[in-house]
Amino acid sequence: MRPKHAPRVIDQGSVWILVAVPSIWAGHFLLSYWIAAIWCAKLPAGASLAEIRWVIAGLGALSIAAIAGLGVIAVRRYGGEFLVFEEITESSERGRDRFIGHVTLLLCGLSVMAVLFTVIPGLVIGQC
Amino acid sequence: MTDEIKLSDLPPPEPYDKARDEAQRARLMKVWEAPKGWRKISAVNNSLVGKWYLLVSFGFFTFAGILALMMRAQLAVPNNDLFSQELYNQLFTLHGTAMMFLFAVPIFEAVAILILPEILGARDLPFPRLSAFGFWCFVIGGVFVCGSIFFGVAPDGGWFMYAPLSSNPDYSGLGTDIWLLGLSFIEVSSIAAAVELIVGVLKSRPPGMRLNLMPLYCWYVLVVAGMILFAFPPLIAGDLLLEMERAFGWAFFDVDRGGDPILWQHLFWIFGHPEVYIVFLPSIALVATILPTFAGRPMVGHSWIVLSAIGVAFLSFGLWVHHMFTTGLPEISLGFFSAASEAVAVPTGIQIFCFIATMLVAKVRPSVPMLFAGGALAIFVFGGLTGVMVALVPFDWQAHDTHFVVAHLHYTLIGGMLFPLFAGIHYWYPFVTERMFSIRTAKWSFWLLFVGFNIAFLPMHWTGVMGMPRRVWTYDLADGWGLLNMISTIGAFVFAAGFAVLAANVLWPRGRQAPVARNVWNAGTMEWSEEIPGKPWGVRSIPYIHTRYPLWEQPDLIGQVDRGEWFLPDAEEGERELIVTDILDARPLFVQRVGGPSYLTLGSAGCLGTVFILATFHLWALTLIFFAGFVGFTLYWLWTGTARIPATLEKPVGRGLVLPTYAQGNRSSGWWAVFITMTGDMTAFMGLVFSYFYYWTAVPAFLPEAARLPVFGWLVAGLAGVLAGWGLTLLSRQVLRQGRRGLAMVTLAGSVVPSALGLGGFVWAAQAAGLDPTRTSFDAMVWMLVLWLGLHLGLNWVMQLYVTARIYAGHCTPRYCADHYNLTLYGHFVVITGLTTFGLLALFPMLMGVFG
Amino acid sequence: MLPLVLTGCAGRHNWLASAGAEAQAVEDLFWVLILGAAVIWSLVIGLAIYAHQTSAPRKEPQARRFIVWGGAALPTLVVGGLLIWGMVILRDITAKEGDLTVRVDGERWWWRVIYDGPDGPFTTANEIRLPQGQTTLFRLTADDVIHSFWVPALGGKMDMIPGRETSLTLTPLEQGNWGGICAEYCGGAHALMRFDTIVMPPDDFRTWLAAEAAPAEIAADDPGWQVFLDEGCGACHTLRGTEAQGPVGPDLTHMASRERLGAGIYAMTPENLSRWITDTDRMKPEVDMPAYPHLSGAELEALVTFLMSLE
Repeated sequence: MRPKHAPRVIDQGSVWILVAVPSIWAGHFLLSYWIAAIWCAKLPAGASLAEIRWVIAGLGALSIAAIAGLGVIAVRRYGGEFLVFEEITESSERGRDRFIGHVTLLLCGLSVMAVLFTVIPGLVIGQC
Repeated sequence: MTDEIKLSDLPPPEPYDKARDEAQRARLMKVWEAPKGWRKISAVNNSLVGKWYLLVSFGFFTFAGILALMMRAQLAVPNNDLFSQELYNQLFTLHGTAMMFLFAVPIFEAVAILILPEILGARDLPFPRLSAFGFWCFVIGGVFVCGSIFFGVAPDGGWFMYAPLSSNPDYSGLGTDIWLLGLSFIEVSSIAAAVELIVGVLKSRPPGMRLNLMPLYCWYVLVVAGMILFAFPPLIAGDLLLEMERAFGWAFFDVDRGGDPILWQHLFWIFGHPEVYIVFLPSIALVATILPTFAGRPMVGHSWIVLSAIGVAFLSFGLWVHHMFTTGLPEISLGFFSAASEAVAVPTGIQIFCFIATMLVAKVRPSVPMLFAGGALAIFVFGGLTGVMVALVPFDWQAHDTHFVVAHLHYTLIGGMLFPLFAGIHYWYPFVTERMFSIRTAKWSFWLLFVGFNIAFLPMHWTGVMGMPRRVWTYDLADGWGLLNMISTIGAFVFAAGFAVLAANVLWPRGRQAPVARNVWNAGTMEWSEEIPGKPWGVRSIPYIHTRYPLWEQPDLIGQVDRGEWFLPDAEEGERELIVTDILDARPLFVQRVGGPSYLTLGSAGCLGTVFILATFHLWALTLIFFAGFVGFTLYWLWTGTARIPATLEKPVGRGLVLPTYAQGNRSSGWWAVFITMTGDMTAFMGLVFSYFYYWTAVPAFLPEAARLPVFGWLVAGLAGVLAGWGLTLLSRQVLRQGRRGLAMVTLAGSVVPSALGLGGFVWAAQAAGLDPTRTSFDAMVWMLVLWLGLHLGLNWVMQLYVTARIYAGHCTPRYCADHYNLTLYGHFVVITGLTTFGLLALFPMLMGVFG
Repeated sequence: MLPLVLTGCAGRHNWLASAGAEAQAVEDLFWVLILGAAVIWSLVIGLAIYAHQTSAPRKEPQARRFIVWGGAALPTLVVGGLLIWGMVILRDITAKEGDLTVRVDGERWWWRVIYDGPDGPFTTANEIRLPQGQTTLFRLTADDVIHSFWVPALGGKMDMIPGRETSLTLTPLEQGNWGGICAEYCGGAHALMRFDTIVMPPDDFRTWLAAEAAPAEIAADDPGWQVFLDEGCGACHTLRGTEAQGPVGPDLTHMASRERLGAGIYAMTPENLSRWITDTDRMKPEVDMPAYPHLSGAELEALVTFLMSLE
């Protein structure tokens, strides 16, 4: 027996999706922060944030849609399931894929929660 | 895919033969044995280096703890004059610094170096000499930073060193330079360890250990090492800015010259908050490993813990501004960080409930490690709850910088990090020493620590509520803080007594005591397969793993391993060998040969340490000499120890499996190490890019008028040169592959020329416009970016010439040229750096409507 | 001990003293959080101890439900609710303007305070007087290192940062002398950088403001004034209305009317003042002011008498 293939990173069901899901939260978070910070830095104190809050909420909706999209990939391509009562311990490629898909789904849930949290200050705070 | 190992397809092992077994053992022993006597310091075995690392970290812990006791003694009564203001300011700065940088992070590396390879059923980590190098860097840097207090010049700016207190030499002296250079040096060693551990988890798993079967400890190590890679570099960038301002007057934090002190806080806390989780997660990893053992069953919610580790890692990068709630940022900005700070409670909750759930479904065996884990839970949960409080902005405006926060952070760190670590120390004590500690003494130490801790820190919340700020060396009787402080001081000494008892129990010589039984706790993870007495090679043969808890779920695994029935049972060629596997399914890829004992790592670390120490005192000529020494040692180490083309290009490793003995490109560990290191390097560069945009946001008129921009034409020329150098490097690889060695050498060595001209272009673009880094933050930023690019190009030239020499010497051939693959990978990153620098200096001002 | 702490017998710096509107807003939050934390802690730790000790293990599905509900769902709801509440309080306690404005500049290690007097701004130091029931907007700056302005009994703190101006509003409700503290470590004598915040009825405040704005009253033949001039005190300190116009140290125009000396750390008595002049570095280590140990007894006494007359 001899090994044939180089390590597979992006192709054939890989771990990129584990990083991608929370990265969407991170992107939304940083974008919200930068937009608000630049807006408030370039305008006088007390300036209204009316436009900004809708930008943040809109970005939040987009981010959640993107997370949902990755969730669909996790289900379709990896066979991910939202498992509570079972552990995925089978020693096979399929088992590893299902595991990654499953953890991805959990991360989707956490990331959606975190995105919603980020939108909250945008809705409460009205001025710089 | 045909390279999947099917258990059923493997030929059966050869029948046991005592003579063969003994011969193999003798050969393995010869190869893996560490040197004896004083030569031991050249050892690189993970079991030795890990142990040293652990002991030295605890040495620094004890030192920093004594500093804390001195502080508590000073605060015991009002208007105390036991210690001077000057000394007290050094005490708390050094206490925080040493605990964070010399204990909390290094102990993660120490424990991981010690147990990770064994948990993975591997012989060693993929770069043993790098571990040793990192360890020696840590020792030198740590002793340098801590030693400063004996000369009265310890850093005294607080462990987060806020500018301008730290940036203006009028307000802070040599201590700050010691802090900056000493810690930068240690950060380098932390990043080295992170690279080692990431590659270790990804590529050194035993055959068959797929991601879904990987032990939780490995998940945590992977996540934490990844966090180090993204958290430490921004601080290194910040250190660089701060030291350039201190040493050469570059204008980064001085407001009169367009600098901004808040930038330091951003760079520091982008590191500083993830740091808290970098410290916390590895300890939780220990609990996640210990708990199943005493529950006698696998962890419930394994995948939920993986989720929580990854989730915490990400969210922890969105918390940094909660250390800056009182800096007058817009409320909405504070809100985002408050939100992330609250959100991080959720994955943490999941983590804790997985532990509770596992205990709920099992009959738990009471034990000393579980006692410490329980104490950890009680303390940490309370610290977490006060964390939820201080994450709320209005609450924080009261609590910030008071003893309430001091209490909170000690609850999280001692509960979340120290107690689990103590649990781990007791759990793995028999693994390391092959003896059992005194259980009675251990219980005494636990209760002293637990009670002492709460007496010391619970009242401190109230001290904070009563208005006592942190970092004050004295207070007045009329403040009414005396009673609470006295109680805290008593508690601190009880806590210290507990640690003394624990240390005595752990260090007590037990040579004559009977050794413990093998797998004394009846654990399920691979490290307990170790023979007693232990062998320097780790595992006798590297088994195929197809379960999460192999010692429980794979019958007779220990026997099979011992009899040498699995892979690599021998060391015929007299080389230290590891099996490298792939990231997803741990399919065997090749046999990697790693370096044995060496003084080169010591010499290299010694020279580099001396460079940093001499730079502190601005002895530039000597600094350069030792830097040359460092380069010399390192090159010789690489030349003699890495990417050697083996005599036989593949070898049978047992059970019918034949593996190559050489790998290059993204199969090899070295390539991944370069990739991961450069990811960290890119993060540091992003710290500089962030600084540039930060100035643009926060400093009015950061971008100067057109005449004071770097000259556009020269920037274009510079970029062209850098790109040409990169292109020639790529070309040389193509040429080499075609077998034209001469031409490959010429193009490769020749690529230095356009690259050097390119750097000249960048330098001249700034010089010709008359940019002076001591005048404005823009000028300083431009020069910093050019300097950064220059340093990377300089290293690139060394590498290009090194590989040219390797081709010449026949170590790099048309078919086997791992060095060249690594070089081109590095080159890609440098080109990204060059393009980004060009974008910031040439294109961004244009976008903003300034044409140079 | 707990009741002793809670009643705030030494409540000058207590967040829970209810002396200001902003502090009160946080106080409510504080009690809810502390009690909530106690309940959650008891539940989690109780559950953990039960799980460890029990000899009758639970069924696995039940334990796994705990992870979902206790570990994920419940924390999400609790911290989500707290986040919203915290944001609402934050919005409510941050006003952009006040009934009066006071500028405070952090120095190593004292406070320069600038009021808008009847005839324009004037400078004083280390003591802030505020009208009860009115909202004061503090505009905060620093010109050496970062400091932080904090009157715990009245409300939260705000950093004073070189190169920028931050602001904070406080609405004191209770009369009294509330302690002020520098909360951000600023090197050296950070521990000894305090100030007094005296909350008075609005009418008294107006009277005080007018008196404080007036120039110093000095008899030209006062021997202490001569010592003040001869020793060059005026190079650093200002006495408004005289030739002493030093901008470096605290304004001394009405220093004797302040309750404390040395930036809120010693009672304003002739003995302390005398020691301050001769033993400055012992009274407050690393302070910029040089000591004057060479002053003869008579000179020192005259100087102290003179300074104590500056009401």
